[in-house]
Amino acid sequence: MNDVIIILATLATTGRVLGLTLLSIVTGWLLAYQAIGSKVFENIYISVIEVFESVPVISFFPVVLLIFVTGVGGPIGTELATDFLVFTAVVWNIWVAAYQAFKTLPREMLEVVENYKFGFWGKMRNVYIPFSLPRIAANLFPSIADAFFYITVSEVFSVGTKQYSAFGIGTLITQFIQEENWGDIAFSLTVLAIVVALVMVGLREYSKYVVARYTVDTDAPIIRRGRINFRQSSRLSSVVSRNPLSKLSRYYPHVRRRRSEKEEEENPKNISKYVWIAFGSVLLILLLYGTVKVVTSTPLSLWHSLMMDTPEVLLDLGYDYVRVGIIVLISLLFSVTLGYALAVYHKLEAVMIPIIQVFSAFPSPAYFPLLFLATSPFIYAAFGPFANELYVLGLGFISTFYYVFYSFWMGVKAMPSEYWELMKNLNLNFFQKMRNIILPATFPYLISGISSTVNSAWGGLAIGEFWTDIIAGKNLYVSHGLMKLIAVATNNGNIALAAWASLIFGIVVVVYSILFTRKMMDLARKKYVAEEGLFAA
Amino acid sequence: MDVAFTYDNGYKVFEDVSLTADENKFVAIIGPSGVGKSTLLRILGGFLKPFAGEVKLLGRTITRPTPKIALVHQSIVTFPWMTALENVMLAMKPKRIPKEEALKTAKKALELVGLSGFENLYPKEMSGGMRQRVAIARALAAEPLVLLMDEPFSHLDELTAEGLRHEIYNILFAEESPLKSVIMVSHNLTEVVELADVVYVLNGSPAKVVGKIEIDIPRPRNPQNQKFNEYLDTFYNLLTPIKVRKRE
Repeated sequence: MNDVIIILATLATTGRVLGLTLLSIVTGWLLAYQAIGSKVFENIYISVIEVFESVPVISFFPVVLLIFVTGVGGPIGTELATDFLVFTAVVWNIWVAAYQAFKTLPREMLEVVENYKFGFWGKMRNVYIPFSLPRIAANLFPSIADAFFYITVSEVFSVGTKQYSAFGIGTLITQFIQEENWGDIAFSLTVLAIVVALVMVGLREYSKYVVARYTVDTDAPIIRRGRINFRQSSRLSSVVSRNPLSKLSRYYPHVRRRRSEKEEEENPKNISKYVWIAFGSVLLILLLYGTVKVVTSTPLSLWHSLMMDTPEVLLDLGYDYVRVGIIVLISLLFSVTLGYALAVYHKLEAVMIPIIQVFSAFPSPAYFPLLFLATSPFIYAAFGPFANELYVLGLGFISTFYYVFYSFWMGVKAMPSEYWELMKNLNLNFFQKMRNIILPATFPYLISGISSTVNSAWGGLAIGEFWTDIIAGKNLYVSHGLMKLIAVATNNGNIALAAWASLIFGIVVVVYSILFTRKMMDLARKKYVAEEGLFAA
Repeated sequence: MDVAFTYDNGYKVFEDVSLTADENKFVAIIGPSGVGKSTLLRILGGFLKPFAGEVKLLGRTITRPTPKIALVHQSIVTFPWMTALENVMLAMKPKRIPKEEALKTAKKALELVGLSGFENLYPKEMSGGMRQRVAIARALAAEPLVLLMDEPFSHLDELTAEGLRHEIYNILFAEESPLKSVIMVSHNLTEVVELADVVYVLNGSPAKVVGKIEIDIPRPRNPQNQKFNEYLDTFYNLLTPIKVRKRE
């Protein structure tokens, strides 16, 4: 009987992930269309994406718990909370991809459909949607992998002593682990592995089909090895995609604005501009009102308590940044070595890439307890008090290394073939190649991958830093860590502290993104675009 | 010697191609598009393995790329994160020579190609012609015996290409240059007659050497010269599609 339920739960989880991905795509198209038509909406839209894409999904928890579980309540509230968490894992890359595609639609294509007086659906169906498909397809893999990663935490969560769960394989695995029901755990993981592998194979085939059918040869970048432009390469390039958003809105002002201006001339009653200004203003007023209301309705004693907790929050954040730094460093070393080997040895690449794709989409929180059970006697004996740290770092690594790995691998694949010939010709050794050519040439990809890894590593830490009853009655706790602090506060029902810590965390992440990632990306675009090393008239 | 090359799908690109590049000779290879000129050049450089035959440099068989045979690409290749000087110094990294010496050699190579004073410019700050000079300086700094050039002027505008063509022979065969010979692939017949001492013409399918012409005109060569035009006519005849010639 359990077997049937496990299969149904796996299908339910997969359906949830794919359904919300589809919702992201459809909403992405509609919002992108609005964004290219209204400057006001575009600015709001871009700012929202920029902020929310930088903030890890985990920081949405307190808000979600508040709104859905205590607000809506019941099974519907739990289901909505789960859906919202999965949605936030998949949506940003896809929205960015749709917006970028709509924004960079070749003017000639737009002029053709305008020439024939196509309306909204005509333009969407014939030009905008087909043109956006390759970019969206490139973003599907990391988005869906991200969504699967969060199934155990998004389907089961607790506030205080009360646990909430939505029907899905994440819930079942958590339940089986608590019951130490090894047979069902093994069966669940097997079914999940098969389904994830099938989804990944399906995505690969879909991507191939979409690229073959819908990719437009426009300004033909000089990329001979591999077909992926780093600007178009997924969450892998979330930074590359994210940071130029504002610039994009200035670089490509022609697309629909020209038409809008024309329409305005022809139709003075066109009020869309004013509608969006009004919408933006209302949104801003609501935001200000909400902020003022929260600040004034919070008792002074609570503010005092939160202020007293702030140094600890910052210290714990510091601990987590050190952990994230270590995870990134290890991921980088691993990825550079493996990525180079795969790019050079094509037979190895053909075998390894599908394996890594399936492995990275297979949710590590689901199988990590088993890994913990199998290794903990040795690891605790060998590393003593550092064993917990090792596990947390390990979970962070297996959850996120593939962002750097894929970015680097794609960067190496996109290097001009002339660079490879030159490296062979000059007889450079491995380190000379790496230092002088490969690392600089892949710098934009690496920054993009590092940024994604940093953002995603928080998810691993959030799960690993405070894992009560991970398996067989054992706990995995670290001494300090912001993710632990948030988890403990949420579990104790101290939503105020959890929300306060999340807010500080969100601000720091956005500031980090602005100060570090963007600067690095600007440097990458200015100096390290390998394609610009080729001069072809 | 007797080089042949076949694609993985069985398509035979060329066969029985033999050519020699003697000391102080500028050799050109011409042929219609798709005949396999660039492929042949990469076989000569050891970048591709021939299906049959072998390539020898001073009696030693070439099985892989070597700095002794330097390749200058059709798409002008520089590294945007390196200055002109650093781009040239890259060629000396594998030699592990002292930095001062490498610096001196790189500056000399840049001087040879006429880029003195531009050492600290980045490729983005240079014209296409200057970038190609950097690429040639880098190739020369590795002290090769043979220079392979794959349509080196095709991405330059006509005036820049003409200017560089006028200088290139003297640059390549200057006293300071380590080069023994140059092999260039080109579509541009005027360029070939202007520069080459010996021209190999490839044609047919699979391609073969259908002509080896020695150009006997004193330098500098003038395209208005009658003999110059006679060579051009000869090449045009040899490059006429084989099937058409059979019908004639």
